[in-house]
Amino acid sequence: MIQLYNVCKTYQKDAASALHNLNLKIAKGDFVYITGPSGAGKSTLLKLLYCAEKPNRGQILVNGKNITRMGSSHVPQLRRHTGIVFQDFKLLESRTLFENVAFPLEVQGKKRFEISNKVYQTLKHVGLHGKLHKYPLQLSGGEQQRVAIARALVVDPLILLADEPTGNLDLEVTLEIFELFKKANARGTTVLLATHDQELIRRFPRRAIALENGQLVYDHTP
Amino acid sequence: MLDPLIYLFRRVFRNIRQSPVLCSAAVGTVAVALTILAFFSLIVINVQSLAAHWSEEIQIVAYLEREPSPARLKQWRASIEEMPEVAAVLYVDQQEALRRFKSRLGSDSDLLEGFGAEILPASLEISLREQYRTRESAETVVGRLRHNPELAEFNYGQDWLERFEAFLELLRFGAVVLGIFLLFAALFIVANTIKLTLYARRDELEIMALVGATSWFIKIPFLLEGALQGALGALLALIGALALFQLFLRQGLVALLSVSGGDQVVFLVWQQQLMLVCTGILLGLVGSVLSLRKFVRI
Ligand SMILES: Nc1ncnc2c1ncn2[C@@H]1O[C@H](COP(=O)(O)OP(=O)(O)O)[C@@H](O)[C@H]1O
Ligand SMILES: [Mg+2]
Repeated sequence: MIQLYNVCKTYQKDAASALHNLNLKIAKGDFVYITGPSGAGKSTLLKLLYCAEKPNRGQILVNGKNITRMGSSHVPQLRRHTGIVFQDFKLLESRTLFENVAFPLEVQGKKRFEISNKVYQTLKHVGLHGKLHKYPLQLSGGEQQRVAIARALVVDPLILLADEPTGNLDLEVTLEIFELFKKANARGTTVLLATHDQELIRRFPRRAIALENGQLVYDHTP
Repeated sequence: MLDPLIYLFRRVFRNIRQSPVLCSAAVGTVAVALTILAFFSLIVINVQSLAAHWSEEIQIVAYLEREPSPARLKQWRASIEEMPEVAAVLYVDQQEALRRFKSRLGSDSDLLEGFGAEILPASLEISLREQYRTRESAETVVGRLRHNPELAEFNYGQDWLERFEAFLELLRFGAVVLGIFLLFAALFIVANTIKLTLYARRDELEIMALVGATSWFIKIPFLLEGALQGALGALLALIGALALFQLFLRQGLVALLSVSGGDQVVFLVWQQQLMLVCTGILLGLVGSVLSLRKFVRI
């Protein structure tokens, strides 16, 4: 599903590279932790995968497509099959939960009844169908992250990228959120989860890769 | 088919509702700039059309040293009327000249008491065919007439017409420079107010891009909003210019150009009004395009 060949990424000239000669293969339906200390390059790796950044060198294949050679007009198409979740949720505060989750479908030009059905199903899936018309700031952090996950899953993505999604949440909530990723993975979505929460990895052992100074230092499948 | 359109307009009106102050600022800027522009255009247009009217009345007056004998007069008239530029020749003798002068003076005509007809010269008034009513043609005709030593002096409004045309040229140039300056100032302000609305909505722009919106999908509502603001500003400018025209400009121009009645002083015709609205729309559109370039990069 995802292949990286000799990928290098430097943000500024003369700066140390954020990723250095990275080679990686992730199969369809995999669940992979990306770990490593702060500044190791975890976010950079994910950004390359949703085309927020371009590598300086190397090739990246996603779902058989070489995204490094792809024109910028194809980026939206790639992102429609990719769910992205952030540590700070990135919800629209002026919109209700329903509108937030409906957003990706509206962007894709889906029909109105199609949207409401799918949004309701997805919010039910994350356990928030009782709060459709609430606004994000009326919810707890854990609930907001669930809304963000619902927004990522509402398009039935092939790939789910999560950048420290539980970084701001306590353990109990983290475990609830993690359940959602597991469920998504069980339905066939390839999940990449960047985290430095070793406790999580210990409890739910999955393939884990570790980065340090932009280099792959560890790749272990239990 | 209708669904995307409704959705598009919902997005536009959501934008406007969320930043009404910025939106009004953009509309106001366009309105003020275009009102000033329309105001100066009105002055130029009216002065120009009046000048064209005046130059249409161009005719040559040849003053005579002394009244000619009827035979010579007849001969001159024949030779002048032969010229292709000439439409008609009218002889004004000294008596007629005095009578005309008296009637021009009106109640002050007693000033001429005691003067005889000999104080004013007789003249030939030569009117030109329509296609020859230009200064160049008048000069050609005068050039030929100069061979006759009996014709002492010619008048075809050369001096003041020349000066007036120079003034008109200056006026037009000034209006163009001012117009360009105003349009750029308005463009700058509109682009910046739109940039502020984009800045206020940068989260939404970012998320749209992240969930796979194409750049056109993101841009179109903002372009439409810009065009709408421009159109609204232009309509306000039209109303403003009409008000200024009715309140001040008409009387001012009538007094300045000393035309009788206000009929010859006109407001913008509908093509010019349409052009003003299009300028407004273009202003809004270009303003949006300029500011969007900085914000929407995928
Ligand atoms: N936009 C950026 N501009 C310049 N340098 C950056 C930028 N983003 C990340 N970096 C640098 O790249 C390196 C990797 O950062 P990042 O991928 O965010 O690490 P992580 O997510 O593992 O904490 C760091 O040294 C960071 O300073
Ligand atoms: Mg990071």
